[in-house]
Amino acid sequence: MKIFRIILLTLSAVFVMSQAIAHHSTRGIYHEDQELELTGTVKEWAFVNPHPYLTLSAEDENGELHDWDLSYGGAAVVHLQRQGYTTDTFKVGEVISVKGNPARKTGVYGILMEGGGNHPTREDGTPVVAGGSMF
Amino acid sequence: MKIILSANKFIKLLVGLCLTTAAISSLGADNAPDLDGLWSFGQCPGGRFLGCMTLQEDDSKLTDRAKAYQAALDEIAQPKYDCAPMPIPHMYTDPYNFRLEQLEDRVLVYYGKDDVVRTIWLEGHGHPEPTINEFFYFGHAVGRYEGNSLVVVTSKFTFDPQGLNADFRIPSSTQKQITERFSREGDDLVMDVSTVDTFFLNEPWTFQVRSTPVTDMGDAWTCELDGARRSLRFEISKYPEDPEPERIQY
Repeated sequence: MKIFRIILLTLSAVFVMSQAIAHHSTRGIYHEDQELELTGTVKEWAFVNPHPYLTLSAEDENGELHDWDLSYGGAAVVHLQRQGYTTDTFKVGEVISVKGNPARKTGVYGILMEGGGNHPTREDGTPVVAGGSMF
Repeated sequence: MKIILSANKFIKLLVGLCLTTAAISSLGADNAPDLDGLWSFGQCPGGRFLGCMTLQEDDSKLTDRAKAYQAALDEIAQPKYDCAPMPIPHMYTDPYNFRLEQLEDRVLVYYGKDDVVRTIWLEGHGHPEPTINEFFYFGHAVGRYEGNSLVVVTSKFTFDPQGLNADFRIPSSTQKQITERFSREGDDLVMDVSTVDTFFLNEPWTFQVRSTPVTDMGDAWTCELDGARRSLRFEISKYPEDPEPERIQY
């Protein structure tokens, strides 16, 4: 279950998308130049406004289990619905993999997944939604 | 005292009354453009989507005072994390449909987000003005029909730390005043929006957006505190020596 690596990336497209939809700023919260991959089990999926969130139980690079807060940034329910998300997209206990920018703050565990069609994948590698435009 | 009118005088009086009524009505809804209905959220002309209506973080229109507030204000202290609705005109950037309802003495604007309803009080109907010490989150809006347009002037706003832009912590003062012109162009609704705020803008901030008719408002939009506050745990405080803020659980 433990897949953990950090890759340096340039993610300018992510910034453009976040500007378009985010009233709740994510700037300065996440390492925008880093990407983290994580595999774990779904603990909670809250498909709520203003911003849906997903909690994943997964190990860090030291093998310690944490609850990771997975954010879609400024996206609201309507934005994710347009990409195919529903209240049933994730089931508690299912295994998924995610990629995103890790949180800067120490002692808390979070990933920003917004933008770039960066959707979580199921165990067989298929994305959880088909994706598409948020608007 | 008895007043006796001849048939001829009675008819003249009746015609006069009708003409007077028609003249008064022309100042109100009878001569108004048809704005009633459901509308898509406004988009900028020329394929700019939301770009024309977003005040930028380092916008040249911002006063030094605005930039100083922006630098001092803590992201975590923004009202949006308590589910406070987006202020106007920033609310224009939210991609939700809205409904306009034209009544004889007022126009109602129902927004598809946060259950926000604005009342535009039409001139000439004796609506009371706010008292000198009354201020409102969405301001006090007064409207009039002018040719093919509804012109709305909104003032008497409360000071708002996210009043000009909630993304970049640009506040608005009690001197914020917004002029909106709603006009029909064919099937479309065109909205010209101009905002002044002598404390935080050194020139008027104007944009034009266009909406098209739609058939439904979309799903009900309810703000959940957990969803609004979720990201706060990742914010790095600008004032680390201050005690951790304890939030009221509404």
